[in-house]
Amino acid sequence: MMRKYAKKRLAVSTTVATVGIIVALIIGLVGGYLAGSMAAAPATATVTVTQTVGAKTVTSTVEKTVTSTVPGGPAVSRIVIGVTDKVSDIDPANAYDFYTWEVLTNIMGGLMRYAPGTTELEPGLAIGYTVSPDGTEYTFRLRPNLYFADGTPMTAQDVVRSIKRVMEINGDPVWLVTDFVKDVVAVDDHTVKFILKKPVAFFPALVAIPPYFPVHPAYKPKEIDSDQTAGGVGPYRIVKWVRDVELVLEANPYWWQGAPKTKQIVIKFFKDATALRMALEAGEIDIAWRTLRPTDINDLKGKSGIKVIEVPGPYIRYIIFNTKIPPFDNPLVRKALAAAVDRKAICERVFLGTTTPLYSMIPIGMWSHKDSFLEKYGEHNLELAKKLLKEAGYSETNKLKIELWYTPTHYGDTEVDVATLIKEAWEETGMVEVTLKSAEWTTYLEYTRKGMLGATLYGWYPDYIDPDDYTSPWVNTTWTGYAYSNPELKKLLDEASVKPILEERTKLYERAQDIWADDAAVVPLFQGKLAVAVREGVEGVILDPTMLFRYWLIYKVS
Amino acid sequence: MASLKTFIIARALALIPTILILITLVFFIMRVLPGDPVVAIVGMKAPPERVIELKKELGLMDEAGNPIPLPIQYLNYLSKLVSGDLGRSLIWGKRPVLVEIMEHLPATIELAIAGFIVSIILGLVLGSLGGWMGGKMSSAVKTYGAITYALFIPWIGMLFQLFFAVWLGVLPVAGRIDTGLEPPTITGLYLIDSMIAGKWDSFLSALRHITLPALTLGLVISGVFTRVTRTSVEEVMRQDFVVAARARGIPEHKILLHVLKNSFVPILTMMGLQLALLMTGAVLTETTFSWPGMGTFLLERIQYRDYTTVQGTVVFFAIIVSLVNLIVDICYAYIDPRIRY
Repeated sequence: MMRKYAKKRLAVSTTVATVGIIVALIIGLVGGYLAGSMAAAPATATVTVTQTVGAKTVTSTVEKTVTSTVPGGPAVSRIVIGVTDKVSDIDPANAYDFYTWEVLTNIMGGLMRYAPGTTELEPGLAIGYTVSPDGTEYTFRLRPNLYFADGTPMTAQDVVRSIKRVMEINGDPVWLVTDFVKDVVAVDDHTVKFILKKPVAFFPALVAIPPYFPVHPAYKPKEIDSDQTAGGVGPYRIVKWVRDVELVLEANPYWWQGAPKTKQIVIKFFKDATALRMALEAGEIDIAWRTLRPTDINDLKGKSGIKVIEVPGPYIRYIIFNTKIPPFDNPLVRKALAAAVDRKAICERVFLGTTTPLYSMIPIGMWSHKDSFLEKYGEHNLELAKKLLKEAGYSETNKLKIELWYTPTHYGDTEVDVATLIKEAWEETGMVEVTLKSAEWTTYLEYTRKGMLGATLYGWYPDYIDPDDYTSPWVNTTWTGYAYSNPELKKLLDEASVKPILEERTKLYERAQDIWADDAAVVPLFQGKLAVAVREGVEGVILDPTMLFRYWLIYKVS
Repeated sequence: MASLKTFIIARALALIPTILILITLVFFIMRVLPGDPVVAIVGMKAPPERVIELKKELGLMDEAGNPIPLPIQYLNYLSKLVSGDLGRSLIWGKRPVLVEIMEHLPATIELAIAGFIVSIILGLVLGSLGGWMGGKMSSAVKTYGAITYALFIPWIGMLFQLFFAVWLGVLPVAGRIDTGLEPPTITGLYLIDSMIAGKWDSFLSALRHITLPALTLGLVISGVFTRVTRTSVEEVMRQDFVVAARARGIPEHKILLHVLKNSFVPILTMMGLQLALLMTGAVLTETTFSWPGMGTFLLERIQYRDYTTVQGTVVFFAIIVSLVNLIVDICYAYIDPRIRY
């Protein structure tokens, strides 16, 4: 009887223990969150882009050449690329992250594209375009003889079908189409016309991004086709796709530039950056792409047989001051803080030189970029900061007490160090006392939206490569909850977004950057660098601020 | 005394409240976590209409756009669960959670079995040695148990990767098999499938890939087995029958066999309980070795706040762990006929 009772108790305690273990498991997990060579086709083509500008129908003809060609000569047939990134939906109607966009760019193509190594546009599937006098109609002429990866011919109707599909599905990146495009029509088999809601000067940049890519008719017409491998008109086609494990691409013989030199590209998905680095060292992969840790990049630089290639990336980080919350409603305070911040210390101490100080919201390497903040405030200018703080009524005894918010769950493990260095720099004035506060990403975003946080750290990946995407989203908008409004700046930015002439736009953005620095409501901090580590023998790696790695340019010499 | 059958029925019935408590806990824990999952999914650039649309999809809002109260959400969830519907993922194709689980489960089972085998071999051999020999050996085994139990999987895993893959170049750093060598799917376990298909190159590749993760996981878990085995063997060794057997001059190896059999009950319990640890251990091991199993899957979906998938997976795990416990209890009753309700 005693034993029976004891066993009963044991069974109960086993149940309790099971519940306990599973609950601990749940809490622990949830809490822990927080390669035969193909002959290269000589595909250099000179094309004419005709822009009809203004009411007088002045036609300016610009000669544009496809600068990037498929490399020639023998090559090793397979290249293995390792990444820690994820592929979300292999469907341009819903994909809205950089890595998936990179994959899409390699299995599809847009009417225009970025010339490798630059942020300049060159013709893609189109050979040229004309703009209506009022700037609201863009007519693209397609290349003759375009084929999907299975040999199906591609026409203007496919472009129309694909764009309308994106609009119908209404996925995450849909606004990149619907905010600008009213309608799209196929004039004939090789001509497609976009009717815009308003003049958009950067429209050719928009057609270079995935939501505008024509997709194979196999894509489900009305719903997101996450694992569809039919692709579009691009250098590669998918031959194998195992989510989170590997993606195998094969050279597309029907591509308009001829099949790429490297016959097979294998992308291996890693869960851990350290394993990615070791796999490169062990020779399991040829290229370690996004994202290696700063310490690993520095270590790999010294290793024989491995090359590290770095270029400025389009990713920027900045501080938002809520101009409605005291003391940040006082421009003197914002300027003082903008002057005191030590960007170089952050880039060197936290990121070990893998980021670059940034003095404008428009990143380095993009046309119209201007170091407005540097010109206005200098770097880590404590004297200016003290002077401004005094003007605002603060002193060593009457310190400015502020909270700086950061999120440890969205910008990586280094975020707390970034926040700490900003705090240190501000407190060096002797007149500021900073309390660091953190919140989990979703809470952080929620609080920001509700306008509850005074000073917050944020980051930005561009949607399209144009100064507009680095400026307009913060002015007279509410997503950041801070309602930074400056009518003059807003007018300038609106004007810049519709002007068709680059020189005019550049001037407008330069002025906008000065005003931006003057307001100091959103203070740029630093810009990310892109780093890729490759094993010796891998050639043709061209990176640029578009962040897109073009697999069709890489090859390996044994 | 009730029969084994009654015991099994009683234990199986006791599972129902256990699982219900678990489901309830999971449901409410997911909902009291700070942060709006909808915002986490759609990101900071999403328009408000998209947020509302997703809230409806999630069952947080009715068609008219009114929020659904938590108790109603809970009842809705339970009613779906009863019919075996774990819901659909919120991201990447919105596939049924059960389908996603079934795709990732074989990799974890394979790793868990391999890790388990390594841990049992290490645990039983070292533990019995410590318990049998006593003295310094016992202390050494005790220390081994403490050290391995405290090992941090990503750290020991990284050391193995560095030594065996980068320096010696004999084993791969990560992954489950080489590109193009996947065997045809029968059980989903590559080692077994490749053997059935007779694809020995696949078998070799899968074996090379599983060695380091299994060793890592097995080493860490072996600590517990070593401890339990040692203690249990020591205890049994003190019993009268051992003294009697020795007095009768029965050879030592025969005595050891009896000792081991008698020490087995606590070891068996520990095996069942280790399943939970094996699963948590698998999360870290899978991440370290980029092993495409349930652990990495769950961790990733937590990061993406794929609400329904996380919930469904945890419930699935909970049921599995409970069932294994039931099986252990039954084995328990089978081995020791005195155990009955």
